[in-house]
Amino acid sequence: MGRFFLLFFLLLTTISPLKAASLDEEPSEAMVRVIAKDLRCAVCQNQSVYESNSDLAKDMLEIIREKVNAGDSEAAIRDYFFQRYGDYIYLEPTKKGMNLLLWFGPLAGLLIGGLALMAAFKKWHKKSAEVKPKAEINEDMQDRIAKELKDIEV
Amino acid sequence: MKNSWKIVLLLSLVVIMALFAGGLGNNPRDIPSPIINKSASNFTAQALDGNGEISLADYKGKWVLLNFWGSWCVSCVSEHPYLMELAKVARGRDDFVIIGVDFRDTVEGANSFFSRHGDPGYRHVFDPKQKVAIDWGVYGAPESFLIDPTGMVRLKHTGPLYFGWFEKVALPHIQGKTGGFGE
Repeated sequence: MGRFFLLFFLLLTTISPLKAASLDEEPSEAMVRVIAKDLRCAVCQNQSVYESNSDLAKDMLEIIREKVNAGDSEAAIRDYFFQRYGDYIYLEPTKKGMNLLLWFGPLAGLLIGGLALMAAFKKWHKKSAEVKPKAEINEDMQDRIAKELKDIEV
Repeated sequence: MKNSWKIVLLLSLVVIMALFAGGLGNNPRDIPSPIINKSASNFTAQALDGNGEISLADYKGKWVLLNFWGSWCVSCVSEHPYLMELAKVARGRDDFVIIGVDFRDTVEGANSFFSRHGDPGYRHVFDPKQKVAIDWGVYGAPESFLIDPTGMVRLKHTGPLYFGWFEKVALPHIQGKTGGFGE
């Protein structure tokens, strides 16, 4: 029981700071965070606008904040950046057009690979299960074996 | 059955190799701009010289070269001698103007740049918070856009403009010798 409580308190101390950060947040700032986390910092290596310290990301964050405070919807703000930077601005590619290949290509590859592996395993299993044919012994060989056995007996 | 798997394997390899070959040919600096072939986003912003504001709409009826730069940008230094030359070309034509957009910069920094490398003489927007730059989908500096007299963005050039760029790239657009958009 004591161990259970110890584990519970350990979990509580780990989770509570994370929760506190989002509970203290203004609703508008939470929306800024959600939008900025989805947008790529255009001059960084795979970092979001929210996480980056670059000047461009900071100014983009400021623009998002201004638009949120002006009452623009999340979709409208995302579209504002999309209209200017294209698909590249989204950290997660949209599920449209050629991007579908990115989303479902690996799954299709995995499926095809899995099927191929299954077929190969089946084939190998069948091969090993097959009974090997007995070696045929011709008459000469039989006579020779019989003769040699006879010699041993003597 | 045996052969069909070999064909599938070979085809997969060919597709992967073709994708790699195509990817190697791409220039990572050329991220396609979605604003090409669209109406230019207007701006009215503070002028770098402190003399009022500059509005893109005021230049309708002329070809506009919008050049984004900053005194912090090393490539802008290498581009500058050509812009000094191009400014002379613009002064000699009544259908072509250049507007600079000095972004993420300070007035002191820009003036120091001009005193070191020369003042091309055309007007510049002062954009310290990159609002105009972000509104134009700019990634870095220098980046240039050519806007036609109707206010349509005709092409984008990423990186420094080079000697002969106007005659080779912009002039065919201005003279209507190119049917399409882009360089």
